[in-house]
Amino acid sequence: MQTIQKKGLTVKDLVTIGIFSALFLVFALVGGIFFAPNPVLTFYMPVGSALLCGPVYLLMLAKVQKRWAATILGAIMCIIWFVTGMHWAMALGYLIMGIVADLVAGAGRYRSKKINSLSYILLSLGGTASYLVFFADPDGWAKTMLGNGTEQSYIDTMRNTGTTWILVIMLAGTILAAAVSAFIGCKMMKKQFEKAGITK
Amino acid sequence: MIEMQNVSFSYPDSADGGLKNINLTIPDEQCVLLCGRSGCGKTTLTRLINGLIPQFFAGELTGKVLLDGENLFDLPMYRIAEKVGSVFQNPRTQFFNVDTDSEIAFGMENEAVPQEQMGQRVVETAKALRIENLLGRNIFALSGGEKQKIAFASVYAMNPQIYLLDEPSSNLDMAAIHDLRAHLRLIKSQGKTIVVAEHRLYYLMDVADRIVYLDNGHIAGDWTPEQFRLLSTEKRQSMGLRALDLQDEKPICAAVPKQPPVLELQNVSLAYKKQPVLRNLSLQAAPGDIIAIVGHNGAGKTTFSRALCGLHKETSGSYLWNGNPQKPKERMKSSYMVMQDVNYQLFAESVEAECTFGIKHPDATLAETTLKELGLAPFRARHPNTLSGGQKQRLAAATSMVCGKDLLVFDEPTSGLDFDSMVRLAALIQRLSKLGKIIFIVTHDYEFVCRTCKRVLHLDDGRIQDNLPVTEESIPMIKEIFDVRRTK
Amino acid sequence: MKLHLDPRTKLFLILLCVLSAMFAPNLYFQFALVTLIGLLAAFSGKWQYALRGMIAYALICVFTVWCMGVLTGTWRTMLIAFLGLVHKVYACGMLAGLVISTTKVGEFLSAMAHLHIPKKLTIPIAVMLRYLPTIREDWHYIKDAMRLRDASPTPWGFLKAPAMTINCIYVPLLTAASKTADELSIASVTRGIENPKPRTCLVKIQMRSADFLTMVFFAAFLAAEIVWKAVGI
Repeated sequence: MQTIQKKGLTVKDLVTIGIFSALFLVFALVGGIFFAPNPVLTFYMPVGSALLCGPVYLLMLAKVQKRWAATILGAIMCIIWFVTGMHWAMALGYLIMGIVADLVAGAGRYRSKKINSLSYILLSLGGTASYLVFFADPDGWAKTMLGNGTEQSYIDTMRNTGTTWILVIMLAGTILAAAVSAFIGCKMMKKQFEKAGITK
Repeated sequence: MIEMQNVSFSYPDSADGGLKNINLTIPDEQCVLLCGRSGCGKTTLTRLINGLIPQFFAGELTGKVLLDGENLFDLPMYRIAEKVGSVFQNPRTQFFNVDTDSEIAFGMENEAVPQEQMGQRVVETAKALRIENLLGRNIFALSGGEKQKIAFASVYAMNPQIYLLDEPSSNLDMAAIHDLRAHLRLIKSQGKTIVVAEHRLYYLMDVADRIVYLDNGHIAGDWTPEQFRLLSTEKRQSMGLRALDLQDEKPICAAVPKQPPVLELQNVSLAYKKQPVLRNLSLQAAPGDIIAIVGHNGAGKTTFSRALCGLHKETSGSYLWNGNPQKPKERMKSSYMVMQDVNYQLFAESVEAECTFGIKHPDATLAETTLKELGLAPFRARHPNTLSGGQKQRLAAATSMVCGKDLLVFDEPTSGLDFDSMVRLAALIQRLSKLGKIIFIVTHDYEFVCRTCKRVLHLDDGRIQDNLPVTEESIPMIKEIFDVRRTK
Repeated sequence: MKLHLDPRTKLFLILLCVLSAMFAPNLYFQFALVTLIGLLAAFSGKWQYALRGMIAYALICVFTVWCMGVLTGTWRTMLIAFLGLVHKVYACGMLAGLVISTTKVGEFLSAMAHLHIPKKLTIPIAVMLRYLPTIREDWHYIKDAMRLRDASPTPWGFLKAPAMTINCIYVPLLTAASKTADELSIASVTRGIENPKPRTCLVKIQMRSADFLTMVFFAAFLAAEIVWKAVGI
């Protein structure tokens, strides 16, 4: 008799997702912390966050290999950003992009490294959502960010830096950083974790 | 009653740990000790009883396991959990909660025990196991031994009929092992069935009713304790089993000609977060010395060994090497620690690469000879994570040799090792000693100290209580330090 | 007598706090919000946490006022932006920290089950919170291991030898994470976590008058902010 592997998420999968979410959170914070507090660099925070989490995400997908893993990760990030008072659009961005990333990775049945990398890039774009809201409505953004609209110089700086090319750089930078991170992650998977017998 | 009928099992990609044609009946209220070498299949056997096979571990399985006449393979895990409680080896990865009370209640919460009864049961459990002092604590602040007690308490609170313990003593010191034995006696007196898989046998000799020896997936012996004790020491050791009675262990380490000391500690004091830990330590060590560091939990063994390696910053006094004072940075350069969880210090993708990892101009021939010398050459292309615990330690020692370190600290190196691996580790340390390294070993393992160490350094009450040579004459005092008499 | 709130109350408080921080019309309201959370912490028996949190925030406020008054130019913009973010996140972060440190894992799981939130989400969150301190422990071991191998666990060390530092950090961290995932799930399933019966809890999950009172206080605060804003306009 061959033992049967259960369909759907098992407790092991849920525990794995929880543990890797903790690592994802820590790496996202460490990567983003240098950028967030500076009005000129704040646009590049998603870039910093995207740079470190690739290996964590790819190993999680490789260990679970099932639908919902990326969605749950995205939902947990959404909850954390919301609870700690970050911009709502950033929280929502992670939730939506978590679902998108899950669907994309699912297209490769969670086994294709290239498609999983692409799914990571998409998830990383979730962090840019609050800035996209800025471009849609700069005044409203500053209001929710600062709590009051009085600090005109901040908005001015944001306006001055927040031109279209910044938007392009932010999106391209996030995609590039996520791609580099995913590339390192793939290499690490091949060189280390697959040989170590950690993935399925 | 547990009945195994013609059970065979093999893991998908490993030859180790499989079982072949096991027929074993464990009647109620029996305490069975499963022993055998690492990879003999004893852990696998416990996994058949708690349902982890086939529900958690995939593999090729034939035969039947019956629990009170019910086929275990048909029961969901949570139903088995009501009857079979399991305690595992690693205290750090067994807890789900952050506070001790909730952890003790965790199993009951899953079983949906009514809230009113639960608080009562937690208190009862703590009282029965004498761990009232651990209630209401943060688990992250507990020692390994205390965490293991909480893990046991959590299972005890569920009041299962069968207790399974998989190498529960691996990470415990002598005092905690003594407590574990008392806990086992307690559940035995309550008429529970107990199955323990262990390498350390001495503490179970007067608890077990039956000893089952596994060899390469087969049951190769099934004895009563009386019969088991009659096995000659040679026979027992050839079966890869550790000591049955620590009283009989004698120092076997040959004295070496005295050399002038190279390492000297003068009035060294250590603090941890501004609290003094150890005061006015003075010590000398010569090349080839093998010094055991022993003491209770919290006596400062870890702080002391980290300070020796230059990792601990809160320190005063002088560390002299050949008479010259050494700064922490210099100590870090010349020393190495083989950690208790050696996984933290293996970074590379193969055994070979690990040896030269991080060295700018690695000496390939030195790496090669070191691997050969430590018997790691056949594994050079393997990933370090696929090695056994003993082999990983060897690899860590090999890296220290390639890096040219002169002082080595081993932190609890025998946790989870079977007899063969312990003997090999002892041989490794002897060889390092012959090469002129100074070796410190933080350990609770009396049997290993007898085999390996030349001196015992006993830390307690913030200072060095004893500094004894491991010889026939000082053995009574060393036994006292290790609490060996109490376990008789 | 310590205040012990229901986890569901705490969730609602977090929501109110996020909104309050978002709508706060000026620094006084921000400070009042932090004071309110400080009081909640003190009533919950976390005196030190309350005191430390409020003193730190008072210093930040003083610093902010000084910046607004004295500084000009780029520095001012930079600092104001930085402080804007701090003010924005501080209250919520302080409340989140309080909630995490006063809520037991089992309590959280039961309360979420009462709210019909699926286990698929609550188990990962519970495990994540339990695993964060473990990452810190692991990091200490890894730092030691790196130093002994002549690798420096600092940003400077990373710049000197990036590939090596990446290996040194990710490989042991992720290896330990996978190992813990396996062993923790084994320890959970052998204690019946898959049991379909509704989970009970060691701590009684119940909304008491204190819960409602606390919620009313926080809701009133939010309402006051909104009124203030409306009047101000």
